[in-house]
Amino acid sequence: MKFIHLTLLFLVFLLLRYDCVFGQSYMSEEGYVEFISRAPLLEFKGKSDHLTGLIDLDQNLIDFYVDLNTIDTGIQRRNRDMRSTYLKTDTFPFAEFSGKLLTEFDPQSEGEQQVKTRGIFTIHGVEREIDVEGTLEPRNGGLKLNASWTILLDDYNIERPRVLFYELADEQVVNISVLLSPRIN
Amino acid sequence: MRPAIVLLFTLLLLPGVLYAQLERQRVVTDQAVELTFMAPRNINLFTVEPLSKGELHYSIMHTFGEVNSGAGDLWGVDRGANVRFSFEYGFGDNVSLGFGRSSMDKIYDMSARIVLIRQKRDGSVPVSISAAPAVGINTSGFGFLDQDYSFSDRLNFSLALPIARKFSDDFSLMVVPMAVHFNRVGPELNISDPQVNTYFSTGVGGRYKFASRTALSFQYVPPLTDAENLNANIGIGIDIETGGHVFQMFFTTSRALNESYLIAGENGNFFDREFRFGFNINRLFRIR
Repeated sequence: MKFIHLTLLFLVFLLLRYDCVFGQSYMSEEGYVEFISRAPLLEFKGKSDHLTGLIDLDQNLIDFYVDLNTIDTGIQRRNRDMRSTYLKTDTFPFAEFSGKLLTEFDPQSEGEQQVKTRGIFTIHGVEREIDVEGTLEPRNGGLKLNASWTILLDDYNIERPRVLFYELADEQVVNISVLLSPRIN
Repeated sequence: MRPAIVLLFTLLLLPGVLYAQLERQRVVTDQAVELTFMAPRNINLFTVEPLSKGELHYSIMHTFGEVNSGAGDLWGVDRGANVRFSFEYGFGDNVSLGFGRSSMDKIYDMSARIVLIRQKRDGSVPVSISAAPAVGINTSGFGFLDQDYSFSDRLNFSLALPIARKFSDDFSLMVVPMAVHFNRVGPELNISDPQVNTYFSTGVGGRYKFASRTALSFQYVPPLTDAENLNANIGIGIDIETGGHVFQMFFTTSRALNESYLIAGENGNFFDREFRFGFNINRLFRIR
């Protein structure tokens, strides 16, 4: 008799919290992010494969962050400068974006869909509201996200040297590409 | 039944927590502290700052005459310079080998820097420690002496063990136990006591960043050896980092630019204006 009660309770739970167990929430810890600096004499990228993100379609929540200590610019001294002098990753270890979808997205439709998001981008301890456009595509039961936007280092109080032998552009292009898998709670 | 109902309500409340923003978690949790100093040398002392594999560090260092020579000699600049150039190459992230030449006593030297311990950001390792052994050869002409210098006579050896801690983004401090041995000494060498072959000291060096790429730096190498005319080696300077280059400008009581002469050399009295202007230019290249 007790077993039947517990079973009934579990079924009630499933009915009431269907979104929790079978909800439309997707996550990845292996996304790709790159920051591209295009100065007149030098272009270089800082890359990481540790972009961590969540897209929850039920709650219209988009949440991404990357540990800036994983960014590799290809030159170790430049990495050390970036971490210690410019981004101060001991104090501000993450770049993060948290926001919501402004446009409709149908996870049942095949192919890429243009989406627009608005949220708070934070780096170097400075928060700014930004709009980001990209594409979302249902793929292999998950979601493929590609997005790109630009930031100005000045906007985030990231100081650049005035006399510099490798140039660092104020404008940084941020590209992300990530395949998110269904999140199972 | 009642516990089951409590469980049900607990489960119903739980999803709200699970669906919040992701908890921020660092991927790299035991990262070594970096850029404890801006360059492999802080004024003249070896630092714990390692080269990475494939990095080539080039430096050219100068000290001029004592500033108390006055304006006529442009406060020592006209008195001639001791110049040292050096190359150091990172063969691994923890081992680099260097080669340098100082004009004072025409010393060629070979050195190594071996990273023994690195300070960790998570505090699990509080300091960085490196070992920096060096051997120098004096190539001066000693034909005027009754007994010329043999190859062995010309050698000197040094060992420095910089122990450093980066207390914050701005402030780093190091203590450097040092030992030096000259196989042969005499008044013909630019050392303080021509009777003493072996010198010991424990130097102290530090830097304080007062702007994002500019720091005040200092060194103090006290005279801890029982030798005549041995004064402290005191240096105060400014480091300017420009992304690839580090310029270091300083005043120091010593002409010396290499380990052996830093603690054995003829140092002036800082408070009698027996100090000199000097500057270093450091450049880092990536070979591969």
